[in-house]
Amino acid sequence: MKKQDWLDGLKVMYPVIISYVPLGLAGGMVLYDAGLNAITILAMSLLVFGGAAQFMAASMVSMGASVSAIITMTFFLNLRHLLMSSSMSGLIKKPSLPFTLFFSHTLADESFAINYNQFKNHEWTANKALATNTLAYATWSISTFVGALVGSAWVIDTTIINYVLIAMFISLLVSQFASKLYVFVGLTAGVLAIIFTILLQHTIALVIAAVVASFIGYFIDDYFTNRKEYTRKEGIEYD
Amino acid sequence: MTSQHIQLILGMAVVTYLPRVLPMLVLNNRTIPEKVSKWMSFIPVSIFSALIFSDIFFWKNQFTIDPVTNIKLIPSVIVFYVAYKTKNLLWSMVLGISAITLMVYLV
Repeated sequence: MKKQDWLDGLKVMYPVIISYVPLGLAGGMVLYDAGLNAITILAMSLLVFGGAAQFMAASMVSMGASVSAIITMTFFLNLRHLLMSSSMSGLIKKPSLPFTLFFSHTLADESFAINYNQFKNHEWTANKALATNTLAYATWSISTFVGALVGSAWVIDTTIINYVLIAMFISLLVSQFASKLYVFVGLTAGVLAIIFTILLQHTIALVIAAVVASFIGYFIDDYFTNRKEYTRKEGIEYD
Repeated sequence: MTSQHIQLILGMAVVTYLPRVLPMLVLNNRTIPEKVSKWMSFIPVSIFSALIFSDIFFWKNQFTIDPVTNIKLIPSVIVFYVAYKTKNLLWSMVLGISAITLMVYLV
């Protein structure tokens, strides 16, 4: 990887990296509060690397949930990575095995959205995407470790801590609105997520809502593409 | 590090890594059909919307659209608006987090 890859990764990723620092500090603090020590928290960040999952783990450990319950919840919460990984496999052509093994480990919502956008709308390479992921991975791991170290000193309101993630997701969502259809699909996914969450009381609701909405988007797009095709052909015949 | 913590971390690592690595391994070196890519182009929007809506419209696990009780709603409108107008991730986040902080201490 060239120095330019890291610089380009940093250029697109710095807002996320900056937001990862307070988020990671907060994550380290809540995990420390839940009873994990700094080394354990660093190990968790390096091996799991999932902001939402780690926040969830912190609250479940505090609640006294069983290890298996937390692992099951993590599985459902992180199922969404299937979709991101599938998407990346279509964008990164013929990666090496070590690349795949490490790159996939560092997939995250934020860097995925940024890499996806870069691949679609700009000149982007696998190495630049890897740099973007690695920067996020390193920032997150170091921040949670430091957060754990200072964990006993500060108490921050959890509503604010959790909202940092949401504000990040909203900003990333808006950047994905390529056309009105994407806005519609987003609204559909959101409404379905609310309905399914109420009905199922489970985070699997989010996966179902997202998959259903993406299919709705696909079929609407397909319908209009076919109709356009049909109209064009008709036009030729009447000529 | 207790043995329970080790179990927790390893378990979480395995169930997180499999969905991350399998599609890239299995779909490796093969082109994705156009229809599949088309479908996948709607995935990020769907995922982020599902994550956002299922969070901001709930307060203490209850569906709540009263902006005084559910203090996440007004900051979310602000983040949406600023993100849409400025297309700037950092600005929309800074304003959103400032708004939620105000709400936490005012309400």
